[in-house]
Amino acid sequence: MADAFWSLITTPWALQPDTLLGAALLALLAALLGEVVWRVLRWPRLLGYTLVGTALALAGRGAVGDEPALRLAVDGALALLLFEAGARLNLRWLGRNPWLMATSVAEAALAGIAVWLVLRSLSVAPGVAGPLSIIAIAVSPAVLQRVVGELHAAGQVTERLLTLAALNTLYAVLALKLFSAGLLLSDPGTWLEALSPVLFSFCGSILVGAALGEGLALIARRLDLREENAMVLLLAAVLLALVVAKTLQLSALLVPLLAGIWLRNRSERPWVWPRHFGSAGGVLVLVMFVAVGSAWRIDALVGALGIATALVLARAVAKALAVLALARPSGLGTSQALCLGAALTPMSATAWVLALDFGARHTAAAAQLMPLLLTTLALLELSAPLLVMASLRLAGEIDVQRKGKKQ
Amino acid sequence: MSLQDFAASRAFTLGVELELQIVSRHDYDLAPGAADLLRLTSRRKLAADVKPEITSSMIELSTGICERHHDVITQLLEVRDALVEDAARLNLRLCGGGTHAFQDWSRRRIFDTPRFRQVSQLYGYLSKQFTVFGQHVHIGCTGPDQALWLLHAMSRFVPHVIALSASSPFVQGTDTGFQSARLNSVFAFPLSGRAPFTLTWKDFGVYFAKMHRTGVVESMKDFYWDIRPKPEFGTIEVRVMDTPLTVERAAAIAAYLQCVARWLVLEKPFEPNEDDYLVYTYNRFQACRFGLDGVVVEPRTAEHRPLRELIAQTIRDVEMHAIELRAERGLALLREVLVAEDGSDAAWLRSAQAREQYLPEVVRQQCLRFEGV
Repeated sequence: MADAFWSLITTPWALQPDTLLGAALLALLAALLGEVVWRVLRWPRLLGYTLVGTALALAGRGAVGDEPALRLAVDGALALLLFEAGARLNLRWLGRNPWLMATSVAEAALAGIAVWLVLRSLSVAPGVAGPLSIIAIAVSPAVLQRVVGELHAAGQVTERLLTLAALNTLYAVLALKLFSAGLLLSDPGTWLEALSPVLFSFCGSILVGAALGEGLALIARRLDLREENAMVLLLAAVLLALVVAKTLQLSALLVPLLAGIWLRNRSERPWVWPRHFGSAGGVLVLVMFVAVGSAWRIDALVGALGIATALVLARAVAKALAVLALARPSGLGTSQALCLGAALTPMSATAWVLALDFGARHTAAAAQLMPLLLTTLALLELSAPLLVMASLRLAGEIDVQRKGKKQ
Repeated sequence: MSLQDFAASRAFTLGVELELQIVSRHDYDLAPGAADLLRLTSRRKLAADVKPEITSSMIELSTGICERHHDVITQLLEVRDALVEDAARLNLRLCGGGTHAFQDWSRRRIFDTPRFRQVSQLYGYLSKQFTVFGQHVHIGCTGPDQALWLLHAMSRFVPHVIALSASSPFVQGTDTGFQSARLNSVFAFPLSGRAPFTLTWKDFGVYFAKMHRTGVVESMKDFYWDIRPKPEFGTIEVRVMDTPLTVERAAAIAAYLQCVARWLVLEKPFEPNEDDYLVYTYNRFQACRFGLDGVVVEPRTAEHRPLRELIAQTIRDVEMHAIELRAERGLALLREVLVAEDGSDAAWLRSAQAREQYLPEVVRQQCLRFEGV
């Protein structure tokens, strides 16, 4: 009896992130810390979530990417954020301002090449440097959307930041798929068997993405997206498409991103919905930032720190130079271009999921790839959102009058 | 600062100012793009001028001094096309209309210049609620006394141009029932309304000195009157109009005012009188609320007449002057407005909303209309 009573007190505190209690407590802590960070420092709440993740990582209890329940939450959150990122991408703008398109191609290509060269010069094997430099092309739409959304940033730098991030995420996802397919197909023994799944995954992702976009457009035309019930419908449709994509082994990144792009660009009619699909999406996003923030490990950090730092620097310089070089013809002032260049830094959940998916198919490369990537993420997880915030503030796109105001 | 001298200008010359909305192509809410747009537009050579306004999602364009309706429309079309092209490069869009249909005024930012900061400090939330978009028309006067005479004679045509330009039925996402809800925001300002009844610059100077002594007024800029003298330009400025949805209508309304001014000054159909203002705010309300269907009161005869009929009558009265000023095309456009089903811009906006049931889409169509496509 006494034992049973005693266990009632002790068991709940045997913290495991995978128990419901553990998850609830972590969510509580993350939400509280997020609020503290926001109230006291006026920093975006996602930094609070990430701090909880960092604490978990330091305690050696970080998230492991192959845990199914966690992976589902991360994929779900990422699907919502990528869908929103896609829905911000106005392809007609790229037509009207070809120099912006050129900026996008240049910053992506330059970043990829710079990272590749730096990694190779530090004698990282090509099989690892390849996927890493492709992953480094993508700037996390998740972090950008959180920072922009929470600070109500608006203006030319913000607009271009979201556009460039959506585009380079698209490039990275496509390029890594091609790279992965190339590896599978280049083996003369197995290429015939590999061909049909590769093609299936490629075309399937595009088809499901378009179908989801079309389905959402149907919902949007009949219901007001700002109402809660329509929102739930939308959320469910995105999650359904995600499940379909996962079951059919399609890209869980490509489907929602393409769906968003499809919805935005199939007609000129504007769609407006609450960010992250309201509160349900908000919970998933919180879990995702805690998980990604905790994914690195301190023992791996020491060995990979040098290479990861070089990667981060090469990537940042390449992206900033490309933006700066094409600023004037694309209609951006020099100081704005500097802010935009500096803000193109976050790497987060997209990179993690890309690396996990790649690693699942190419286990040999994964052993070397994962520590490098996770260390890179650890370097950027707190610094990059702050850099984005500072850049947007410097660009004058965060309203100073809102500072210190409760909302 | 005392009242400055009135710089005479050529009679019946015209200048038109339009405040335009800058909206995002993503959600069609107002977007802070004035500085970016100005940076691109400054690379061009344009007859018209482009300036920032109090909030960063508003831009003001103004024509140079024009003689004819034709000059006005040519300059407006040129600057419109240039701005539309530059906005497109920035993923922004421009439109007319006296209010933005669904913007949340608490989220507007004040443009970062000392004068605007000072204005926003004094008026607080009013200056944000003042995110409304108007058309101002300057009419050249040969001297200050003529300007004041014309200012007061013009007062009974104020409801006409309110009704002709009304394009602000929606405010903060709801249908106000008004054709021009914009003027309700303007009315909240302490120094809005009508100018005091003085017919000579000397008397006006006495009034100005008294006001200045109270410390309430620093310069003419502090008066938000419906029509105010603009001594440095040598004009009177009619400020009651909403920005119409098209530059063609803006030019036509300017032409209407020009013809009326010429008719008043040369034919003197009546003498202005303090009693004209007995029904002024009532008539003004009728025009704001019901637009062309408003019923206004003739101050002298106490006769109640529909605005639609009065405007048609005035267009006939000024016909000879329209020919002299070559303003017939402008007036022809207004005649069409009077007879069309949803002729007024406010009616057009309401029918778009009835069709779409979605204000962001209405704003998008408003942009298309402004772009002339």
